[in-house]
Amino acid sequence: MHTTPSWTLAGATLHSRLLLGTAHYPSPQVLADAVQASGTQVLTVGLRRLQPEHGGGNAFWQRVKALGCRVLPNTAGCHGAQEAITLAQMARELFDTPWIKLEVIGDDYTLQPDPFGTLEAARVLVRDGFQVLAYTTDDLVLAQRLHEAGCAAVMPWAAPIGTGRGPQNPYALQTLRARLPDAVLIVDAGLGKPSHAAQVMELGFDGVLLNTAVAQAGDPVRMARAFAQAVDAGRLAFEATPMGERQTAQASTPTLGMPFWHQP
Amino acid sequence: MISVSMNGQDLQTPAATLAELLQRQGYALDAAMACAINRQFVPRAQWPSQALAGGDRIDVIAPVTGG
Repeated sequence: MHTTPSWTLAGATLHSRLLLGTAHYPSPQVLADAVQASGTQVLTVGLRRLQPEHGGGNAFWQRVKALGCRVLPNTAGCHGAQEAITLAQMARELFDTPWIKLEVIGDDYTLQPDPFGTLEAARVLVRDGFQVLAYTTDDLVLAQRLHEAGCAAVMPWAAPIGTGRGPQNPYALQTLRARLPDAVLIVDAGLGKPSHAAQVMELGFDGVLLNTAVAQAGDPVRMARAFAQAVDAGRLAFEATPMGERQTAQASTPTLGMPFWHQP
Repeated sequence: MISVSMNGQDLQTPAATLAELLQRQGYALDAAMACAINRQFVPRAQWPSQALAGGDRIDVIAPVTGG
């Protein structure tokens, strides 16, 4: 159930603002059940070398297709613009989609994206007709450049991939939203709990993309549902405009008419 | 015979084209897979006509789980 209006991502009208990865689930059935529980309409997939005895990757691909979601292939693991561009071209043919989650890794330890390679690849891929969803850090200027390059979405991390630490720099995320009001901004990576998702959605992000937080939960299906509700709640809160913070206490109950009060 | 590298493995092959190499190595040509030679994408329609040269590095990829 979605309580917020539909939105547009890369030309597609979506109801769910939760994008889900397909890795690290205990079993294919748990993945399928989690996808259903999450209400997601977009699933990320990867591409890796195939040995002929493994049957062309058809089994996994058939299972994903049966889930009825849009597919967002990634360029995970690429270390330069050319690698990412080539993998994106291969993905476009294989999945018959112009959507690509652009990842160009700059540091293997933190999996921090390479800003220069990401921007270079994004420019080439946009020119080539791709709908580029670019994984990036929370760096404002890089996000601006990716948006100007024509990326369909700019996707800053909340924390390094797979850490589940939640937003490490909420101020930077808030600044991105404020400075890029017209960009589609999706928080990708580092979320661990539904409260993290709600937090960034309250800031006005258009969606969240996560994988490990659901797949590695004790009960991935329940967690998928929890994230779906958190994303909806956060979006609803953003649309409702949260109150401003105050420095001092202010009573909720009227002070006028307080019993037992007598003028000294 | 030429020497090529396929998915990181060196091999000798009499194959003249990419499609022939794929078949000789046991791949089903209609499988869900995509190919690149020397890090350049080769569209499926070009597999039968894509000539191979000694030293080519061929990558064959397929869908896997991903985040």
